[in-house]
Amino acid sequence: MRAINISMNVLYALPWRRALNEWLSIDAPILIYMLKATIAGLSALWISMKLNLPDPRTAIFTVFIVMQPQSGLVFSKSYYRVVGTIVGVGMSLIMMGLFAQDPLWFIGFFALWIGICTAAGFKYRNFQSYGFVLAGYTLCIVALPVIETPLEIFDIAVSRFSEVVVGIMCATIISDIIFPRHLSESLLTAERERFGNILSTLADPKSVFKVFDETNPAVSRFSSGVVGLNAIRINSAYESGSDQKERQHYSHLNHEYMNLSTTFHSLKSIIAAIKEDDQALLQRLEYLYEPIAFALQTRPNTVVDSDDLSRVVGELLAAKSRVKERFEQRQYDDNDTYTSAGYLIIRLLNELHNHCVTYLSLLKHRLSGGANKELSPSVRFATHTDNVLVALAALRGSGVLLLTMLFWIWTAWPYATLTITMAVVIGLLLGTLPSPIDGVKDFFKGSVLALGFAAVYDFLLIPAYTSDLLTLGIFLAPILAFVGWMTTRPKLAIFSFGFVFMFMSQCALDPLYKIDPTKFLESSLAALIGVIFGGMAYLLVNFWSCSLTQQRVSKILRRQIVRVCDGELTIERSALESTGRDLVQQFSTQGRLNMRSSRLVFEWLLATLEIGRAILTIRRSLKRLQEDFHSIHLTIVLESIKSYFESPQDSERETLLNRLDAALLVLRSGTFPSEKAQRKRYETLIIEFSLIRTIIVNSTTFPLMKEDSCR
Amino acid sequence: MPLDITLFGIQMPTLLPIFALSAVVQILVDRIMSDTGFYTYVWHPGLFRTAIFVCLFTTPCLLIYR
Repeated sequence: MRAINISMNVLYALPWRRALNEWLSIDAPILIYMLKATIAGLSALWISMKLNLPDPRTAIFTVFIVMQPQSGLVFSKSYYRVVGTIVGVGMSLIMMGLFAQDPLWFIGFFALWIGICTAAGFKYRNFQSYGFVLAGYTLCIVALPVIETPLEIFDIAVSRFSEVVVGIMCATIISDIIFPRHLSESLLTAERERFGNILSTLADPKSVFKVFDETNPAVSRFSSGVVGLNAIRINSAYESGSDQKERQHYSHLNHEYMNLSTTFHSLKSIIAAIKEDDQALLQRLEYLYEPIAFALQTRPNTVVDSDDLSRVVGELLAAKSRVKERFEQRQYDDNDTYTSAGYLIIRLLNELHNHCVTYLSLLKHRLSGGANKELSPSVRFATHTDNVLVALAALRGSGVLLLTMLFWIWTAWPYATLTITMAVVIGLLLGTLPSPIDGVKDFFKGSVLALGFAAVYDFLLIPAYTSDLLTLGIFLAPILAFVGWMTTRPKLAIFSFGFVFMFMSQCALDPLYKIDPTKFLESSLAALIGVIFGGMAYLLVNFWSCSLTQQRVSKILRRQIVRVCDGELTIERSALESTGRDLVQQFSTQGRLNMRSSRLVFEWLLATLEIGRAILTIRRSLKRLQEDFHSIHLTIVLESIKSYFESPQDSERETLLNRLDAALLVLRSGTFPSEKAQRKRYETLIIEFSLIRTIIVNSTTFPLMKEDSCR
Repeated sequence: MPLDITLFGIQMPTLLPIFALSAVVQILVDRIMSDTGFYTYVWHPGLFRTAIFVCLFTTPCLLIYR
C-alpha cells in the first residue's frame, strides 16, 4: 500500500503531469471539437444521401455554419438559421409567383428585400442578425437557379429547406450529446474573473486615486465585456439545464457591474481633474475611501466561496455606515468637487455591496437552489443602433445586388447567378465586422485555397477511390476535420468561412457523381468575381471616418440628455446605461476610431450617463419635494442644461455654469426641510447639481469640441 | 392514421406535422424541467433531452406505420 502511495506521489511530481493537464485543458477540447464537427458533417451527408435529397452539400454546409464549440451557440444559431430559411423560402415563393415574368419588377423587389435584410441584420445583435442574413441569402439560392424554369421553384424550396433541417439536426444533436461544453460554464468563469477583478481593483486605493494609468490592466479592464457577456447570457438560454433564475442573476450582475463601472470611472475622472496642488482635498477623499479598502482587505484571494463572500458583505455593510459618518462630518462643505466625489464614493460602496449580495445569491443558488435575493425580472438590456449606419448598410446591400444583376444581364452568362449569390453573401455577412475589407480579403484567400482542395477531390479522389457512401465518408473525413480545426482559430474565422463556402459549393457531393471541368472552372470563376464585387462595395460605399463618427456619437449622446430633460420620468438608469454602452461598442467597431478618440468617446459616454442619471434623480426629487422648498432657479437650470446640449456654444456654457452656481447657492443658503424624507430629497438636489457642475467644468471635449483628436 | 395528409391544399407526409407538434411539446417539457431544476439530477442533460424528443416523435410515428 505504502509503495503504491509513494509511486503515486512520484507520478504526481513528474513534470509531464502538468503538461498533461495543459493538454487536457487546451488541446483536447480542440480535438474533441474536430471530432464532433466531422461526425456531424458525415452524419448529415449520410442522412441526406439516404433520404435522396438532391443536394447533400447544403446539409454539410449548414453543419459547418452552425457548428460552434459551445452547444448554446449551436442552438441559438440553428434556431435563427431555421427561422431565416423559412422566411427566405417563403419570400422566394412569393417573388417567383408574382414577378417571374417581369425582370424589372423582379430585380427591384429583390434589391428591396436584400436592402431590408442587410439593414435588419445590422440593426439586430448576435445571431438574430444572422437570421436576416439567411433570409436574404436563401432567396438567392432558391430563386436564382430556377429563374428560367419557374415551375420548379416549389421542389427546390422544399429540398433546400429539408437539407438545412437535416444539417441543423445533426449539428445540434451531436454537439449536445458528445462531450457537450456549455456556455453557462464559461459564463460563470467570466463572471467569477470579473468579480475578482472588481474586488482587487477596489481594494487598492491607488487604483482610484492615482492618475489614469494605461499600464494597469485591471483598471482599464474595468468596463469591458458588458455587451459580450450579455450576448453569452442570451445564447445560453437555449442550452439544456439552464434555468431562468440563474439567467436572471446574470442579467442583474451585468447591470450592476455596468453601474459600478460607470461610478468608478466617473469618480476617477473627477479625481483626475483635481489639481496637483490641492493635496488637502485629495487627502480628505482618501480618508473617506479608507473604510472601503479596509473592508476589502479581508477578501479571499482565490475562487470566492459563499462563506468568505458573506463575511465580505458584512464588512462592506459596516464600511457603509463608517463612510457615511465621515462624509456627514463635512457634508455642507461648499466645495462642489468634494461633494460630488464623496457622493460617488458612497454610491460606489452601495453598488459594490449590492453586487456582492447578488453574486452571493447566485453562488447559493448554484449550490443549493435557494437564492436569498429577490430579483425583479424587469431588467432589460436595451440596445441602440444608429440609423445612419443602418441606412448605409442597406444602400450597400441593394447597390451590390443591382450591380451584379446588371453584370448578369449584360454578360448573359448562365453562371452569373453564382456571382450574385456570392456578392450578396459578402455584403450581408461581413458588414458587421470591424474591418470588412480585410474580411473580404480573408474570404477570398480561403475560397482560392478551397478551390484547390475541391479540384483534387472532384477530379482525383472521388472518381478514383470512392465507390459508396462509406469510402466517400472516409475520404471526406480529413478535410472536414481540417475545417473544424480552422474554425477554432479566431484569426482564421473569415478565412475558414470562405473555405467552407467554396469547398462545399464546388465539391462533387451529389447523390450521383457528375462533374465536368468546364462547369467547375466557370462556376469557380463566377463565385470569385462575386467576392470581388462584394469587396468593391465595401471599398466604394465607405465614407465613414473618424471625425464623422465622433460627430455622430456626440450628437446621439447629446440627444439622449435632451430626451432625459423633458421626456418621461419612467426611463430606467439601466436602459440609459445599456443603450449608451451598446452604442459606443458599435461605433468603436464600425467607426474606425483611433486609441485616443475611443478614450474620448468613452469619456463622453460617462459624462452623458452621469448627467442623464443626475437629471432624472433631480426631476424625481423635485416632484416629491414640497412646494415651499422649490425655487425658480432649479427649473431654470434644467432648461439651461437642455438648451446647452441642444446647441452647444461657449456662451451657453457660461450661462449654464452661472445658473448652476446660483442654484447651488440658493439651495445651500436656504432653510433645510425639517422632516427626514424631505430633507433627504433636498440634500440629493445639492449633491446632484454639484455633480453636474463638476462634470461640465471638467469636460473639455463634450459637448463642445475644442480640438480635433482624429489626427 | 393516414400516411399522407392534406393541409391547405398541400399534400404532405403526416410525419411533418407530427415533427412540428412534438418539437413544440418538447420545448414546453424542456422549459418546465429546466425551471424546476430537474436537470441537476440527470447525468447527461443533453442526451436526456434528445431521448425525450425521440420518444415524443417516434411514438406517434410507430402508431402510423404499424
